[in-house]
Amino acid sequence: MCTNHVINSIFTEFQRNLDQEQDNREAIRNICKDISQVLREVTTILQVIHYNEDGIGPACVKARDLFEKAQEGYARLKEAVPDHEYFKYQEHWRSITQRYCFLIALTIWLETGILATHDTVAQILGISAVEKRCGFHLDIEDYLSGLLQLCSELARLAVNSVTRADYEKPTQISKFVMELNAGFRLLNLKNDHLRKRFDVLKYDVKKIEEVVYDLSIRGLLAAPDAAV
Amino acid sequence: MPGPGRHYRGNRKAANPSAASLSTVARESALALPDDSPVLAIFKDIALKLTARQDRHERLVKLSRDITIESKRIIFVLHSAMTKEANAKVLADANDRIQKLLNGPIKSIGIELEYSPAYLHLRAVTSGFQEFVEARTMFSIMATGQIITFPEVQKELEFVVTENDEQRKVVTMITDNDYMLGLADLTGELMRKAINSVSTGESEDCIQACQVVRDLYTGYLGITNNRHLLRKLTTTRTNVNKVEMAVYALRVRGSGPGLMAAGNPPAPDIDAPAGLSDDEGYY
Repeated sequence: MCTNHVINSIFTEFQRNLDQEQDNREAIRNICKDISQVLREVTTILQVIHYNEDGIGPACVKARDLFEKAQEGYARLKEAVPDHEYFKYQEHWRSITQRYCFLIALTIWLETGILATHDTVAQILGISAVEKRCGFHLDIEDYLSGLLQLCSELARLAVNSVTRADYEKPTQISKFVMELNAGFRLLNLKNDHLRKRFDVLKYDVKKIEEVVYDLSIRGLLAAPDAAV
Repeated sequence: MPGPGRHYRGNRKAANPSAASLSTVARESALALPDDSPVLAIFKDIALKLTARQDRHERLVKLSRDITIESKRIIFVLHSAMTKEANAKVLADANDRIQKLLNGPIKSIGIELEYSPAYLHLRAVTSGFQEFVEARTMFSIMATGQIITFPEVQKELEFVVTENDEQRKVVTMITDNDYMLGLADLTGELMRKAINSVSTGESEDCIQACQVVRDLYTGYLGITNNRHLLRKLTTTRTNVNKVEMAVYALRVRGSGPGLMAAGNPPAPDIDAPAGLSDDEGYY
């Protein structure tokens, strides 16, 4: 019978931990719902870049405001996730965070034309960029995933900017995406979700190249030295 | 989208001349990349991080495999105890090997993960830990009659590392999930143990082991919403059935070698440990 007692305590203890885990997940899910609400708003606002050149500036400003709102959400998330267990619960915010990385990188690209670094994106979300034994951070793979989404969006933008007779943007996009493409080739990707996402990149690159090519054979590109 | 190249594969041949120019465009933009571009610098940095992560993962998988193999051997040794007298020697041997395991690969895992989030590499180490828990709990039940609890196991995984005259504590984190899964596997080992003990005439051991398996099964029945455990539950149920049948046979037909083996041909005394492989389902 004494074994019985030990076994009993083992199982009650375990069930208690399971229940605790359920509660954590519930809390995290609720916060993620709020964060993704903001995410949807940003996504909608930034769609303007595909049809209205003048809307880009104000859209970026609005997006920046919303990122601050997202920051509050991430602060709450940081509280809700137990210290050591970032990767245990990661699935809950993973795709949301990837999308945020994409939108932040897009906003920064629209504003300045440069690549947002891992640190910058993490800073805008108000979380750490460094992976430590404990604590909340921006996972490097999520950041990369965001960049790959950015390339797809820019490929679309290249097409749409030609439609509204902006012949410079595709060249700029082409240069930027080519650089990212070269960068991604440096990475030793495993056969995982990131790798799958990376495989899409070549189609984005191709799409952009075709736009630039069409512009060049129709003589719509600016003088070569201006394009660089 | 312009026409040519829209159907990538289909038009590749037909659009050959334009494809050549297309690739010229591509090559030009690729060549325009300066070697010292900040973007490439960023990616070089990321590449280092990703590679470090992958390497760490591989090392952990290796360690985990080492633990699995050694744990299986320890369990095998524990099964080899046929008589009460041999028991002490076997236990001492097993204890030695468990200590070696703790101070070898398990400690290395702790050091490996000292500055990294353990949950990131959980999948690399989980199988090794489960097997270790199986061996460790089996040892504890044979040595003390009690199952060592999760906090106690976790406590054994704390090490003091001395480096450059500085001591620091390193903890190898093991999850309660791994512990419970290892415990589920323990029922299989106890089942084998019980059946072996029938054939060696230790009917008392058999009945004890049977009760432990039952208790564990009862416990698992009470656990809700854990899909990993649910998968093991069927195996546990089979184990309970087998061990209960053995005890039944013991009671009905009286104890004695070979008698319990209901459908089997009368087995000689010593068929048990030698004939058993790693295979859990062996009966």
